[in-house]
Parts: sequence; C-alpha cells; structure tokens
Amino acid sequence: MLFSNWFGRKKYRSVPEQINQPPSDTISASLAQNITYLHSQFCQTPDLVVRHFMIKQSGDQAALVYLSGLIDKNAINNNVLRPLQFETGSGNSEYGFTINVGQINPLLSWPQIESAILHGSSILFVGGRTEVYALGTQGWPQRAIEDPQIEASLKGAHQGFVETGSQNIALIRRYIQNRELKIIELTVGRRGNSLVSILYLADVAHPEVLKELQDRIQQLDVDVIINTGELAELIEDNPFSPFPQFITTERPDAAASQILQGRFAVVVDRSPSVLIAPVAFMSFFQNIDDYSTRWSIATFIRLLRILAFFVAVFLPAFYIAVISFNFEIIPVKLLLTIGEFRGRVPFPPFVEAILMEVTLEMMREAGVRLPAPVGQTVGIVGGIVIGQAIVQAGLISNIMVIVVAFTAIASFILPNYDMVAAVRLIRFGMMIAASMFGIVGIIIGLMTMIGHLIALESLGTPYSTPFAPVRFADWKDTFVRLPLWKMGKRPLGTRATQSQRQGSNRPKGDGK
Amino acid sequence: MKKYAYNEITSMQYIFLNSGIQVSVFFLAMPGKLAEKAGTDGWIALIIGWAITVAASLIVIQVMKKHPEGTLFDLIARYLGKWAGRVAAIFFALYLFYYAYTGLVEAVLLTKAWLLPQTSASTVMLLLLIPTYVIARNGLRVLGRYAELVYMISLWIPFVYLFPLKDAHWLNMVPLLKEGWKPVFSAVPTTFFSYIGFATTFILYPFLKNKQKASSAILISDTLTMLGYLFITVICFVYYSPDEIQKYNEPVVNILEAIEFNFVERMEVLFIAFFLLIFSLAWIPTIYMGVFCTSWLLGKQDHRNHLRILWLITALSTFFFIPTFNQNDRMNDFLIQIGIGIEYVFPGCLLVYLWVQDRFQWGKRL
Repeated sequence: MLFSNWFGRKKYRSVPEQINQPPSDTISASLAQNITYLHSQFCQTPDLVVRHFMIKQSGDQAALVYLSGLIDKNAINNNVLRPLQFETGSGNSEYGFTINVGQINPLLSWPQIESAILHGSSILFVGGRTEVYALGTQGWPQRAIEDPQIEASLKGAHQGFVETGSQNIALIRRYIQNRELKIIELTVGRRGNSLVSILYLADVAHPEVLKELQDRIQQLDVDVIINTGELAELIEDNPFSPFPQFITTERPDAAASQILQGRFAVVVDRSPSVLIAPVAFMSFFQNIDDYSTRWSIATFIRLLRILAFFVAVFLPAFYIAVISFNFEIIPVKLLLTIGEFRGRVPFPPFVEAILMEVTLEMMREAGVRLPAPVGQTVGIVGGIVIGQAIVQAGLISNIMVIVVAFTAIASFILPNYDMVAAVRLIRFGMMIAASMFGIVGIIIGLMTMIGHLIALESLGTPYSTPFAPVRFADWKDTFVRLPLWKMGKRPLGTRATQSQRQGSNRPKGDGK
Repeated sequence: MKKYAYNEITSMQYIFLNSGIQVSVFFLAMPGKLAEKAGTDGWIALIIGWAITVAASLIVIQVMKKHPEGTLFDLIARYLGKWAGRVAAIFFALYLFYYAYTGLVEAVLLTKAWLLPQTSASTVMLLLLIPTYVIARNGLRVLGRYAELVYMISLWIPFVYLFPLKDAHWLNMVPLLKEGWKPVFSAVPTTFFSYIGFATTFILYPFLKNKQKASSAILISDTLTMLGYLFITVICFVYYSPDEIQKYNEPVVNILEAIEFNFVERMEVLFIAFFLLIFSLAWIPTIYMGVFCTSWLLGKQDHRNHLRILWLITALSTFFFIPTFNQNDRMNDFLIQIGIGIEYVFPGCLLVYLWVQDRFQWGKRL
C-alpha cells in the first residue's frame, strides 16, 4: 500500500504541471486576486508584462497583460493604452470602452486566458468584471518575404513562404481568390498547440481524401510540431520507404497550382514549407517553371529529368556490373581501353566506386552546411582532388571519375530535394547488388524497387499513377508537358470530384 | 455483398496479368519447338492454338458467370458441395505452385547459364525470390499494377527484334503447307504450352471491376499473346533456316547475337537480364494465386503467412535440390499435360455439368 502510494505519487509528480488541467474556475471579480493568480501561474516569466491603469471612460481599474516579445508594441501603445487612458467618450460601446484594435474576444476561463497570452494576444482585466478581453495585438519577430532558397525558379514569383501560418495562407489566397478555397484549422501538440491548416478547393478536392488527411492529423499525439517535415513523417503511409510520399514546397505559386489541381496543402504555423498531398511519383519530376516555359522545351526538360533519375540510380551500379561481372558485353577494344586505365588501380571496382561516391556525398553535405564563402572552397578542393590528383596518384581510374561526376550532375537536375535524397540512398543499394551479382543484381534491384513503388500510397491514392494503374488521360502531364490548352481536365490521380479545369483556350481559325 | 471488393483490378490490369502469365519463360524455346514439329508452317499452328484457346477461355468466363461473386471454389462448393470445392482448391493450388515453380526453375537455369555461370543455382533462386515476396505480399491490386508496368517498360523490345530483319530470308516461309496439314496439327498441342495460364481467370474473375467486359478482355489478352508469339516466331523463321533453328535451345535469344554495336558486343546478355522482368509475370501472380487457394481452403483472409511459409519452403528446398535443364524439360512436358487437362478439358466438362444441373433443378422446381 505504502509502496503503491509512493510510486503513484512519483508518477504523478513526473507529469509536468503545465499539462495538468489548470484550474478551470471562473475569473474572480477582484482585479488584485486575478493578477496574483496570474503571477503564480506564470512564475519565472520575466517577459510577462502587467500594466495597471484606470480606464478614463468608465473609471474602472484595469490591467493589461501580455508577453513582451509576442506583441506589437505600437499597437499596444497607440491603439490600446492611449485610448483607454486618455480618451473620453460616451462609453456606450459593446464592452463599455473603446479600443482601436480589430479583434476583441471576451474570455471566461483561465485556460483560455493562458493560451491567448501564449499566442501573443494581450489580455485586458477590468476590475469588477468576471470576463476578460483578449485583444488581437500579435506581432512577433518576422522575416521578410524573400525568394525561396531551395526551390529556385527562373520565371516563377519571387515570393517564398515565411514562418507565420496566417501569412502563408494569405500568400496562397492571393493566387486563388475564390470562396471555394476552404481552410480547416486543427491544433496539434500537447505542449505547443501547433496550428495546422488544411487548404483545399471544396468543390474540387475529394472528400474521402480530406477525411483521411484530417483524421491522421487529429490523431497525432505529440509535444509540438517544429517543422512540416515532422508532420509529413508522422502522417505518411509508409514510414519505411526511402521515397517521399508528400511534397514539401516553399513556393506559394507551386502550392496554389497544386490546390487548383485538386490536391491539399497543409500549412504548419512556424514552418516555412507547405505540405502537398496526395502526390504521385511523377509529381516529383514536375516543376512550376515547366508551366511557364514553352511546352516543347518543358517536355524536353522533363524527359531529361526522368533520364537523370535512371542515370543517378543505375549508372555506377551498371559500371560496376559491367567491369567486374559481365565484361563479355563490352567489345574487346573498349575493354582494352578501360583495362589500360584500370591497370594501375589497386581497388576492385566496387570499392573504387564506393570511395568516390562517399567522397562526393561528403563534399555535398559540407557544401550545404558551410557558409557560402567557405562553401566555394569545398568545390575547388573537391574538383582538384577528385578530378586530377586522385587519378594521377593511381588510386582511382579516369573512367570512375567520369561515372561519378556524371551521376552527380544527373542527381542535381532533379527538382525535388527529398527525391534526390532517396535516389542517393537507392544508388548505394544498387551498387552493392551489382557488385555481388552483376546485371542480375541490378535487375533484381529494379524489380524490388518497382514492387515497392507500386505498393506505395500517398493518403490512400496509388503512388505509381498514372503508370500503374494506367491512366492515359494523365499522361499529358508526365513524360511530356502538353500545351496548356490541351490540359482541360484535372489529373485523375488526385481523385478530383470536378474534373473540368478550363474551357477551350485554343485560338480558332488562323489565329487572328 | 461483394466479397472481394477491396481488391479490384481493372480490365487493363486483367489483360496484362493474363497475357503476362501466358507469355512467360516458355516463349524463348517456342520457335524452335514449333519448327521441330511443323517446320516453317509452325505459325499456322499458333493461330489454330489461339482459336482453341479463345474458345476455352470463353468457356471459363461462361462458367464463372454462373457465380460471379466468388471464385471457382465458391462455385464448385455451391453446386457440388463443400468438399468438392476443397478438393478443387487443393488441385488448383498444386497446379499453380507447380506452374510457378517450373517457371521459376527455368528462369534460374537460364540466368545461371547466360549471366551468372559462377553463382550457385540456389543463390540465383534466392535472388529471384526477393522481388517475388515484395510484390506478391501486397495482393492482387499491386500485382495488376506490376503487370501493367512491366508491359509498359517492355514495349521497346519488339523494335529491337526488327534489327535482325535486314538479314532475313522471307523465302524460308514459302511454300505454305509444304507437307500438308498433318505436321501443323501435330504442333498444335505444343502451342498450348504457350497459352496455358488463362485458367487463372477462375480465380481472377470475382476481382474484376468490370465483369461485363470479361469476355472481350480475355479475347484481347489471348490475341495479344498470340500476336507476340507470332511476331517472334516469324522473325526467327525468316532469320534462321529451317534446320538451323533446331540447333538452338533458345532461338529467341540467339537471334540477338546478330545485333552488334560499337559499344555493346553481346546484346543478348542484357536482354536475358531484362527478360527476367517479363518472366517474373509467370511466377509472381501464380504464386500469389496458389497462396490465395490455400488461404481460401483454411478460410483465412490474409494470405501473407501462407506466402511466407511457401517462400521459406521454396528457398530452403533449393539448397537440397534444383532441377537440371533436362529435368526441367520433363517438368515442362508434365506441366503441359496437366495444363491441357485443367485448362482445356475441365472447364468444358464443368460447363456441361452446370448446364445439366441447372436444367435438372429447373425441372425439379417446376
């Protein structure tokens, strides 16, 4: 009994107090009592400001409470304190005083007050009243809207998402001025209350997919969501796959274009990227620029990307297979040339390839992490070491350098960072398979990869569409990017309920 | 209530699945065997075989129409009793496993002979079993997607086979019917070998999304198979002389030796590797369906445990025994015999029986 008590108490103590239900008792009419209670709740919070003053209109004692970093100082000084303290007036407004802020919410319980303070509202306590007022004076440190860093675009807008959810939604709304653009707000997290908003076109997007997405987000039980990537990992269909099952974009134009196709955008407050779902494998080969360049050129670039995917995954593996296993397929002359270069190299092809690939990955990672001026040095050092010295030293053959360089260039072409990461990982798997079983190993790897890809789903929609299951109508925007006036329908892969996207825009006759 | 609604396949997936099971490892040897029996008139036998196959497949569809919501075993269980259904399920499971195993062994032997002479057959078998498991565990819908995808990425192959045509001797084909119809007819049973597999419709039918189109789908799929065979056979016939073709075990592969580029010397090696994708359509769906039969037998919804057990048995057994080429040939001969029984004779008998039964009961009810 004693032990169980002891254990029980310990367990109880280990739960942080913030998570405990705060006293849901109503607010006292005494101002002093309220402020004392507030101080007891927010102890060791030096940035909590409590400002006492008298409301001139009614003569009531009042206190304004806020967290100094999360509010807009100008708004507090000019729009709240000044009118309350100095303005005389009839005082016949709804609350008995006039304030020049847009949003006033009367609150009746302590938990509401607490969450409002933490979200950057300022709270007005008025003596003698059991209701308090949350004033919309939010204003936290913000970054300016800048050009997106990772997803550069030549012709697209130079606006990227920032770290404020409402701003990001506004950026998307600028593209879709339609009342069918609906927003579902959900709060996730026990400790942080991350605000997650799902944006979609109500008359286009499929309700089942929406329900699935909403369910998954609502069922999350986490402390707080720091970044969109976390959310993606927590709600994706197959967490063991190397392939990304959602797109995270930092471009409002890309997000808007996806919403218009019938997909969903998930905006996570405090994160500068937006989640797009459901997506297919081929979505990762599309880029917003494709739609603003001429269609024939966009098609060419698409084909180039798909070729690049295969090169990036299979080229080093194929080289290893051909050199160490199936050399009979190379003509003798070519074999002799390769042998000439490889003669001095002490390593087997697999070790040679792994050595080079790992070096390259390291350089790449170093280039990303280092500040830009130093980052360039990595390129120069790598270029000289890999391109010249290592071959002259006889450690690596010329052809291996060509193969690795070609592979690296190919993987840089792919427009989506997550997909590139997957490609890098799979490449190593293929290299191992090729070093053990030659071309058969590669084919087995290919079969396994295909088997995995066709079984993957993104929010319950097949990942490998429009190839398996075949949807010929969607092919217009996969390998090729047909002229925009040919794409009158929304892609089937999104399961849009309203498929017509546009009317006939093709100039008729001889185009006059 | 639809029992199998969660796992529906489209008509297109059905066409490719069926055709994929038919066009399997066996097509490599087909032209040689045809030439052996019927000379250069072998292609006529292919067309006759196709006609018979179409008739038999339509019979299968007719049988399944009697009980469209269930598989063959549900149907037999309904008409002939529970135990008859179970016996049918056991027979079908055995047949499908045997079909899959024969294809798998043939693929292993070919891979070993052409690509990996140094590696042991059991290792190759294990290698092939990896993607088999990855794909088969996900059920029929994914299998359908796999069949579609494999077909799509193999579309370039026929164009490569046009290369050897520059050395073709079209005169090999004439005169038609050099020795009359007799050799042609004698080759017809050989062609059945290339068409068997359509009996999987007995199991696939309830999964079809669009059952009204089942007849046309199977017609398209049989025709697709026939056209593929015809294409490859005619090319082999015009490229090789009638005597020469019989010297090769796999003329379909050897013919690629004619293609040579400055950068690739032996195209056929690359091809055999790529063909593994197509071959896999012969054993992955059949293994799945075999496992489906045993799961049905035990009344289980989830086939994965059975698949794992079968996978382990196959993997372990290869360490102790793997057939040689000659044994595999004999396995093939046996397969064609039971194949003719199960796929051509049995559906006809079943249809007649069902018809009689319906008539009889109809009379009784009056």
